[in-house]
Amino acid sequence: MYPAPIDEYVRPATVADALAALGRYDEGDAVFVAGGQSLMQAVKARLVRPRCLIDLQSVSGLSGIDVGADGVRIGPMTRYAEIARDERLTGACAALRDAAGRVGDRQVRNRGTIGGSLCWNYVAACMPPTAIGLGASLELTAADGGTRTLAAEDFIGGPLETAREENEILTAITIPAAAGSAGSAYKKWGLVTDALPVIGVCVALEVADGRCASGRVAVGGLANGPTRSGAGEEALVGVAAGDGDGIAAALAKAADEIETQDDLWADSDYRKQLIRSLGAEVTATAFARAAG
Amino acid sequence: MSTTTITVTINGEVFEETVPVRMLLVDFIRERAALTGTHIGCTYEGVCGACTVQIDGEAVKSCLMVAAQADGHEITTVEGLAQGGELSPLQRAFNEQHALQCGYCTPGILMNMDEFLRENPDPTDEEIRHGLVGNLCRCTGYAHIVDAVRQAAKETR
Amino acid sequence: MTGTSEGWVGRHFHRKEDHRLITGRGKFLADLARPGALHIVFKRSDHAHATIESIDVSAARAMAGVVAVVTGDDIKDEILPMPQPVVQPALPATYPKHWPLAVGKVKWHGEPVAAVVARDPYIAADAAEAIEVAYDPLPYVGDPESALAEGATIVHEDWPDNVIFQMDFTGGADEESQKAHEAKVQEVFDSADIVLKQRFTCHRCGVAPMETRGALFEWDESDGLTGWLTTQRPHIDRLALSDILEIPAEKVRIIAPRDQGGGFGVKAPFYREPMLIAYMAKKLGRPVRWIETRQEHLMAVSQERDQIHDLEVAAASDGKLLAIRDRGIADCGDGCEGVYWGFLMPFLGAVELPNAYDWPIGDIKVKVAITNKSALSPARAFGEFPTRFAMERAIDMVAKRCGMEPADMRRKNLVATLPHMSITNEYFDSGDFIKVWDNLMAEADLPGFRARQAEARAEGRYLGIGFGLGVELSGVASELFVPMENQPGYGAATVRLDPRGKVLVFEGDAPGGQGHETTVAQAVAQSFGIHPNDVVVTTGDTGTTPFGSGTVGARAGSYFVSAAVQACEFLKDKIGRIMAHDLALADTSPADFEFRDGFVTYQKDTNIKKTFREAVERVIMAPINLPEGESGGLEHTAFFEAEKPMIAFNADVCTVEVDIETGQFKILSWTTSEDVGQIINPQIVEGQMQGAIVQGLSNTMFEEFVYDENGQQLTADFENYKLATAADVPDIKVTHAPTPCPYTPLGSRGIGEGRPSDVPGTLCNAICDALEPFGIEITDLPLRPDSLWRKIQAARGAS
Repeated sequence: MYPAPIDEYVRPATVADALAALGRYDEGDAVFVAGGQSLMQAVKARLVRPRCLIDLQSVSGLSGIDVGADGVRIGPMTRYAEIARDERLTGACAALRDAAGRVGDRQVRNRGTIGGSLCWNYVAACMPPTAIGLGASLELTAADGGTRTLAAEDFIGGPLETAREENEILTAITIPAAAGSAGSAYKKWGLVTDALPVIGVCVALEVADGRCASGRVAVGGLANGPTRSGAGEEALVGVAAGDGDGIAAALAKAADEIETQDDLWADSDYRKQLIRSLGAEVTATAFARAAG
Repeated sequence: MSTTTITVTINGEVFEETVPVRMLLVDFIRERAALTGTHIGCTYEGVCGACTVQIDGEAVKSCLMVAAQADGHEITTVEGLAQGGELSPLQRAFNEQHALQCGYCTPGILMNMDEFLRENPDPTDEEIRHGLVGNLCRCTGYAHIVDAVRQAAKETR
Repeated sequence: MTGTSEGWVGRHFHRKEDHRLITGRGKFLADLARPGALHIVFKRSDHAHATIESIDVSAARAMAGVVAVVTGDDIKDEILPMPQPVVQPALPATYPKHWPLAVGKVKWHGEPVAAVVARDPYIAADAAEAIEVAYDPLPYVGDPESALAEGATIVHEDWPDNVIFQMDFTGGADEESQKAHEAKVQEVFDSADIVLKQRFTCHRCGVAPMETRGALFEWDESDGLTGWLTTQRPHIDRLALSDILEIPAEKVRIIAPRDQGGGFGVKAPFYREPMLIAYMAKKLGRPVRWIETRQEHLMAVSQERDQIHDLEVAAASDGKLLAIRDRGIADCGDGCEGVYWGFLMPFLGAVELPNAYDWPIGDIKVKVAITNKSALSPARAFGEFPTRFAMERAIDMVAKRCGMEPADMRRKNLVATLPHMSITNEYFDSGDFIKVWDNLMAEADLPGFRARQAEARAEGRYLGIGFGLGVELSGVASELFVPMENQPGYGAATVRLDPRGKVLVFEGDAPGGQGHETTVAQAVAQSFGIHPNDVVVTTGDTGTTPFGSGTVGARAGSYFVSAAVQACEFLKDKIGRIMAHDLALADTSPADFEFRDGFVTYQKDTNIKKTFREAVERVIMAPINLPEGESGGLEHTAFFEAEKPMIAFNADVCTVEVDIETGQFKILSWTTSEDVGQIINPQIVEGQMQGAIVQGLSNTMFEEFVYDENGQQLTADFENYKLATAADVPDIKVTHAPTPCPYTPLGSRGIGEGRPSDVPGTLCNAICDALEPFGIEITDLPLRPDSLWRKIQAARGAS
């Protein structure tokens, strides 16, 4: 199918120009195009009918990965393929590579961006739960040049909902450096390989003396949007790296706590099973990564 | 209808064209550049991969972009793979291993695997299969495609 | 096989088709351009069942670039309604009246309601969106059992009920003989040691080739109607369009593009859309083009399977099968589809139910119900995917009750002597099922696997092995095809020799990736002793090719190739006669000339020879001093019909590992053993097998058309209708245990159509074998991890 008529295409060079272009249109009439791998599906299906496409491909300063002592800063226009092959993303950030390396397919990973995924926040997406699981902070820049920073979990709402205001653009994603040994992992399940996740689980652990000092458990593929499991995180504290039963018990708590839905791909119970099994697997991986 | 003028290089040839803003890149390639080797297999979802081309050397789906997004970029389509009338090792391997039947998905697979092999000159079968996830083939069952990519890798190394 | 020499048949030869396809120079339907061609876009129903109250096309018609907008009311007096005889089987059924566009009411979500013709496809889409249709919803008839129930809403309002077709396949034509037969079968069941009674259900899924459907028609007052159409059977389309549009047949020419992006059955029916495209091209006097969207494709066609079978099997405790009873029900959809009408697939599925087992007796009946869904359209493993799933699962379940290895049970009950007539009157002409089976078992190493399985189980890992087998029609003989589809089964080929010693072959069928250009070139090259590159094949143009019923039912390797070889033999005879005359050779028959290595050589004195080119040129270009009664020229059309209907046979084994915590599983290996007779091109045969098996796996594990409680189609894109990717399927090992077919000139058998049919049973048997400690039996499809997990959970909870 073809997009509904579009009046204008612009390719700004700066964040200010991008926001200015947005400001020329009524709310919803102009859209940012990052990689476009989800947005263009909706535009072609005419579920989204923009009057103006603002293509962010040439906006300076929005792309690239900086690894520093404070943590990792990722430009929102950084493509999945770049994240997936960046060998500096280890330990606490390793889940990013897991997720980015399994989004869609090669072609999608060559074009799709982390920022686009976070701002679109599709119900079945890998980046939103990963960002939440890693405790990422998102920097938003407004038309007046002002910025604000939100925790990923405060930014990401229900499916297709975010805290981004109409006059804002996502300008950075930062993942704080871990205090001590830390590891993270992400894995999803879909009916076919690398399909949109029916359930995706991200676990990030800080490990001290071979035990979990603190953990974050985030789950995607949910009708209410990606979410953390407080009960699961609490239960992980104190669990030893090789303690399969302890890990299983913690993920069982997460599965009990999280509300899951029925759809074409799985019913609510099976989703809970996926939270348990994927969760246990990524937790074990996260422990191993924390150990280096 | 709102239009925009774009300059796109396809297989080394420069196209300067005024196009509707909403024109999809795949339609630009097929209708304006008359390069019909790039195929369409989806409605809006961009899953099948038959429209895969390379933009600045990277395999992407030309149905998930408007043509305007390609303004200023270099595109290679399946018609640009053979150089000077010589099939590329990958193309030749597809013939020798019988890696195509109807051939509808084949151009997209070639454009994806051509880049894949530059990135992974010595892939395992599992890596090849994983690399092919973005290209659906309904005829071959994929086994001969894997054979062909493996052969091309061997010959190119 | 006089005059043929060893050589091209059976040899590796890289496909002639490929060069254009790997360089982007293929010409598929969407690649064909006609100056000034207009684009048509359909407006389709939002409802599954509703009365059309009004259609407002004014906004659409007023758009710049729109040429015409039509609705059902506009065309119903202009186009004859379906059914028309040429696309109506000679089977007793009720055939629903319909036009290309809905008239009065809509009967499924996605039915064409109106169409826009515009100069630009984007504009046509805009205009279709602007058409406003007011509907008054009617109750949705969504499953075949409730459709058949007393008091059900009737979908075709002038019918007494929702039954399109029903048949007793084993009891004879009249009620009395059927009752007597039923009682006879009951007696066997009454005295049997073991009786299995089980319902098997198969979901709605199909083929979905990568190229959707399409059409391009143009009209010219002197030449008439010319249409390029994605089709497997252009000659049938031509006749049907001539009838529907009341255009004399000699003024209709249909051309199937040389390159078609897969068919697998779905391009075989005579569909509603092309009727309208052709009509609009004639009405407007301008070329009109339609390229189906994937959404349309998945809403309107490619939906098959969808059968329920209440199957009963009687067996002796030693594993001998005694009797079968089946009551099949199929969900036909609305049935508005020329040639197949949604019920021919369940019909043939029932015929194929007995498979290759030697049943002493059976009682098989099928009923096909109309519902508010799109009509079933053919898919490779035509109708038999569900019945073979049921049968192959049932064999394993009975084997278990007998305490036997399922593999042993299969071998014990295979038809051991051919020819054989099945209990549904399917003729198995030739082959050696036991040989194919034993070849498979040699590959399978069952004892070794059982040892590995036991070791793994001790470690808490669940491995399984599964077997399945299938008889496949190798072409469809007229004997079956005339009653089934009102069409001839013969294969036809025109072979024309060129004065330069080259060969042109014309085929009326229309391939879509099967490699006909290469396969027939190898057969013809062998026959004339020349190179396959000297053979050029033209397919699918009704203006230049002999009549053929289409590329359906694995006809190429059996019927079409045989016709081509027969035509070659005819021409070789003529060349031989004339050569004997020219050389004044006494006591010489055409068989004394051998065609080999580019020469025609006299066998009694090999010094006497001519190049093939000289021999041919003499007959075509210098037709003087010919033998009495002989004429010049070298062209012949042969129509091949085998003495008997023919089959091919295969057996499969796969191994799996199941994760009992999640119900997820991995296919560890898949090996098939085949009897395809004399192989013409080994790679093409292997490709057919691998592709068919993977289609079967994809159908079994991933694909399903889902309608919600109101009949909304939820799976009309590739995000929701999932196809297997390369990473989801195993490598397929293909092995051969051939027996040449005695009824074809080369000994070849047509293969590939029925091939996916034993895949679901084989895979599910392996899964059930892995889960044997839990006593799990899979009886419904699709096979999904979540449902498997639920079964495992239930079994673990119970133990």
